[in-house]
Amino acid sequence: METSISAANSDQNGIIAWIKHNWGLLLLVIGVLLLPFIVAFFDGQSFSDVLASETGSAKFIQGLMIEIFILAIYAISYDLVLGITGLLSFGHAMFFATGAYFTGIAFKNLDWGIGATLLGIVILGVLQALLFGLVLPRVQGITFALVTLGFASVFFIIVQSSELAEWTGADVGLQGVIVPEFLNTTNERFRLYAIALLATFIIYLIYRRFVDSPTGRVCIANRENEDRALMLGYNTFHFKLVALIIASITAAFAGFLHTVHQPIVSPNIAGLGWTVAALLIILIGGVGTLSGAIIGAAVFRLLEFFLDRWFGEAASFLLGVIYIGIVLFIPFGIVGTWKAKAAQRQQGWARLLQLFGLKKEEITSE
Amino acid sequence: MSGVLDTLKKNRTRTITIAAIILLFLMAIQSMDTKDWVITVMRGLSVGMLVFLVASGLSLIFGLMDVLNLAHGEFFMLGAYVGWTVFVRPDTFIDVLPLVLLLSAGLVLIPLWRSLIARANVSPTAGRFWPWIVLVLAIGVLYLTLTRYQIAIWDPEDFASSPITFSLALSQGNLVLPQLPETTLNPLALLLGVFIGTSLLAVAISGFRLRGQARTESTHVDRGPIITALVLIGIGLLVELGNDGITMFLLGMSTTWRFFLAIGVAVLLGFVLGGLTEATMVRPLYNRPIYQLMLTLGLSFIIIEVVRAIWGRPEFTMPKAALFDGSGDLCPATNLGDLLANQCSTLILFDGRIRTYNEIFIIVVGLIVLVSVWLIIQRTRIGMIIRAGVQDSEMVEALGINVRRIFTLVFAMGVGLASLGGVLAAPSVGLSTDMGTRFLLLALIALAIGGLTSYPGAAAGAILVGLLQQFIIKFGQIGINLPFLSEPFKPTPPLVPASVILLMVIILLLLPNGLFGRSD
Repeated sequence: METSISAANSDQNGIIAWIKHNWGLLLLVIGVLLLPFIVAFFDGQSFSDVLASETGSAKFIQGLMIEIFILAIYAISYDLVLGITGLLSFGHAMFFATGAYFTGIAFKNLDWGIGATLLGIVILGVLQALLFGLVLPRVQGITFALVTLGFASVFFIIVQSSELAEWTGADVGLQGVIVPEFLNTTNERFRLYAIALLATFIIYLIYRRFVDSPTGRVCIANRENEDRALMLGYNTFHFKLVALIIASITAAFAGFLHTVHQPIVSPNIAGLGWTVAALLIILIGGVGTLSGAIIGAAVFRLLEFFLDRWFGEAASFLLGVIYIGIVLFIPFGIVGTWKAKAAQRQQGWARLLQLFGLKKEEITSE
Repeated sequence: MSGVLDTLKKNRTRTITIAAIILLFLMAIQSMDTKDWVITVMRGLSVGMLVFLVASGLSLIFGLMDVLNLAHGEFFMLGAYVGWTVFVRPDTFIDVLPLVLLLSAGLVLIPLWRSLIARANVSPTAGRFWPWIVLVLAIGVLYLTLTRYQIAIWDPEDFASSPITFSLALSQGNLVLPQLPETTLNPLALLLGVFIGTSLLAVAISGFRLRGQARTESTHVDRGPIITALVLIGIGLLVELGNDGITMFLLGMSTTWRFFLAIGVAVLLGFVLGGLTEATMVRPLYNRPIYQLMLTLGLSFIIIEVVRAIWGRPEFTMPKAALFDGSGDLCPATNLGDLLANQCSTLILFDGRIRTYNEIFIIVVGLIVLVSVWLIIQRTRIGMIIRAGVQDSEMVEALGINVRRIFTLVFAMGVGLASLGGVLAAPSVGLSTDMGTRFLLLALIALAIGGLTSYPGAAAGAILVGLLQQFIIKFGQIGINLPFLSEPFKPTPPLVPASVILLMVIILLLLPNGLFGRSD
């Protein structure tokens, strides 16, 4: 997708070449890692306050950023299913909610450690992807979307039912989860912040690598034209299943972070609205671009946050207007449009350079 | 005979599934008293008809244009709220009507402005910024006039004048409408201002549209929009002049007629809104399917918020019209004659008490719509084009038929049907801001069960969804005798939505195209 193919081919000296090709990305990650300190600096807090999770705008920004990272991990997994593999699933919230609820139950009722919980999440992630895989060969297109919506709705109803109140907290949600001290969001926020950031970064890299791998290529082929991929001898079912399993584990991991960060797991995260949130995020960022999911998550959360703060009641209305505006005027999402306009941008740069007399070449006109 | 057997053999799974559903239905009936199952079936049909009104439009739109209109449920909701307004607060309706008419009169004239501007041949440099100036002017004029225009309206924040109170007052027969304070401003002058404002807006829009284009626009001035605009302005001014008189007339008429008027207004509004939505927002997106989902989703957020802002968050109900609310000596009626003579609210059928409105009127209207839309699709030229378009719209276009116009018509019709469903649902299920989402989900499930693009499938699926839900609710009260269980099993409330979803999943796994869908 991006530069990593050439990076792998051009040089034997792996890591250095990779850093050379991705220095912008690395700088960005380091910059985001330092963001709380910068905020603290301008706010008059000392750096040790940040490390000690003292109340202040640095801590608040970290909280907001962690939410963005969680959304980004969740959305990027949906992008793999929808944008890369071309499966329209309306049950993605179930993947996320399973992770979130399981984490809560493991910490609260079962008293498990972090490692065991993560292992449980991976197993559950594989299992629920296999559940979707059961129906995968039977139904396609919009019917698949409706069947997955059905699964997720049943899950939503189960989670909310009063019979399970002891475990899931019914429609109030899971409350009073004691998170192990290592990841506690009130006392160890910077650690959680760094872990969430690194997790986002690593998951992004893995996904990019996956898309560039032969398996990922077949997934893209499946999106573009499933019949042709079948004709070429690929059993697309296996590839779709692999994409689902990866996405499911990732989304469940996002759910894990969600429970660790939020004191309450509300049943809303299992509803259709949460799947729609992922859909909106990747549409804002650009479908099938991976990085778009991360940028979209940031835009989505910040938009929601600021609209809510400035307009209160009317925020939802404005959000709707902005979505329609994005669909009509930025049709390929932020990253998609950015890539599509690359040629125009280069021309613009050249014209600017020429204007300042830095470049003498003739510019070919449109 | 052998032909029938062959078709049955070819569709073996389908035949077995349908037979199994019928068998289950008969078993469910068998385990209940006559009284219980008659009521349950009637209730199921009633809910099924409401779901059908949403599902039919959704299915037509999806079949013809491949657009899954996620705002369809919200149009259903909007129909309910607008119907309520006409029924309970006709004064508000009459106050708003001229405003809406004049606003649309201004916008109808866009084609006229476009040809005039194209004729004026403004230089491209000027064309780049003058629309912005006109736009700012238009917003200014509209702001000044609209904020001064007085509308008699309720206040959702204040209980004494909230929609709930007005509903209650109407059903008890002591509706008192608030009087507007006297103003010095002439409403006609304000309406004129509104018209000038929208005209400026129309000029700005046509300016923006023309900006990027080469001068190939036809400068021919069409007469249609001018006539439409004049008619709209005429009606608007007449309504404003006769404001008090019309309001008194509407308040004086029987609630039955007002209810039918409410239905008419809501359907018309749904029709116009549907057409507008298709023409302005969905049309640019026909080759980007997922973006239509997002657009209609955004639209549904907007409609929900608008409804919340105007009518408030709390739920309320719409009183039933006089025709379905009588209570004479002979009520509940035991035969048709008594029912019609006393306009009873309930009647006795097989010892069970059945509500006239919920279980009879809705089903009758639903059946009429079902049959008439079916006739339109099967017997008219437009219906033929629609059916052909569902098969292959490019081919129809190649034959020289303007499919785009049919698209707009079908979208408008679908939203109109949803709106009708909304008004019908208002007195029986009540008005709430989540009713749209609820019914949209049910309609989607019904479509999946019946086959996404099949019209009879939509009807069958909707009725199945309604029946199943009501049967589960009924079994929740009386319990089912299941084998291997000593106590009768009583389904809990969460099982009501879950059962419908499970039915959908099972049917889709057996028949991926639904009960009546074609396999592509």
